[in-house]
Amino acid sequence: MSAPRTPEQAMALLDRESRVRHGPVPHELGGRDCAPGQWLISDGRFLSRCPSGYGFLYERGHGVTVERPAVPDPAEEALWLGGSVHVAIAALNGLLPLHASAVAAGGRAYAFTGPAGAGKSTLAAALGGLGLPMMCDDTLLVDPLGPDPLVCLPGRKRLKLLDDALALSGAVAEAPVGVETGKVYARPPGGTVTVPLPLAMLIFLEDGPEPIWEPIFGAERSARLDDDHYRQAMVRAAQDEGRAGQFALRARVAGQVRMARLVRPRSPEGFAASVRLAADRIAAEGKD
Amino acid sequence: MNAVLSKFADNFSETAIDDEIVVMNLASGDFFSLTGTARAIWLLLDGTRDLAAVTAALAADYGAEPDAIGPEVADFVTELEAAGLIRRG
Repeated sequence: MSAPRTPEQAMALLDRESRVRHGPVPHELGGRDCAPGQWLISDGRFLSRCPSGYGFLYERGHGVTVERPAVPDPAEEALWLGGSVHVAIAALNGLLPLHASAVAAGGRAYAFTGPAGAGKSTLAAALGGLGLPMMCDDTLLVDPLGPDPLVCLPGRKRLKLLDDALALSGAVAEAPVGVETGKVYARPPGGTVTVPLPLAMLIFLEDGPEPIWEPIFGAERSARLDDDHYRQAMVRAAQDEGRAGQFALRARVAGQVRMARLVRPRSPEGFAASVRLAADRIAAEGKD
Repeated sequence: MNAVLSKFADNFSETAIDDEIVVMNLASGDFFSLTGTARAIWLLLDGTRDLAAVTAALAADYGAEPDAIGPEVADFVTELEAAGLIRRG
């Protein structure tokens, strides 16, 4: 049995596998057609074709090939490379991608997860105003092939926020994203973390009438890991571990990583209260 | 002694999280969360006990009469058997 890989090895692997060249990309993979808007994973390779004409092929050990449409859009290209392609590269190299934005506190990572629009990025950025630097935006990579405790890698995507989230979080706008997302690239007020850290906690964001922080125990911790169907479907396709392997991975994460629900109202006042609550609870968790 | 109750170890994966045991049937993908007495019964199914011995051990652990808890233990064991997680004999 080989030794667990170090976080530094995982980061170097990700760098190596994320190198990009431009050229033609096939329209099928493993004998299956890839229609625009779809992705396929087969035998260590990932193929995605976009409605705009972009095509992305990742081959383990060979990096990414990007096929540009007649009128390329660098902003769209960057979004795909930092989004689905990044997740696929991670999954095909044994990493566990979680739909989460994370902050660092006391040398450990605290990650906020929830569906698109749940406010993960805004909350994580806003905690920077209370001294917690940002670890990643939108995708958190955990390395199950690393040693215990489970370590997550610093994010490679720039923070993206809507205008109202900029105002709420105190982040500084840097440049428009450029595609019709309505978002801008932004700098979090607490800065960013560039080193791997142990993953201390996953916090699930939910809407409700008042801010509540509620720990999650037992089997629900394992079940909650399946909330992110899109990324977990990619992991299942990429890692071919079978049910026993997937179960073992979830058991390891659920056994090591504390979890909680953070319920909060969708109002500026509720947001501010939830930021304070999260900061207080993270500080308390750090003392346990 | 009646038929010993044994786990079908090849049919499932299990893990302990806090005070619960989570069992997944590898064929169906179904999850079972075992807490309290269900967890205690699961732990007693070590391949050496029949239904009466499991019931007696559980009764001793919980300070109950075996006759009082017997039907519920039998029902749960039948559920585990139906789920393909254990067998008799």
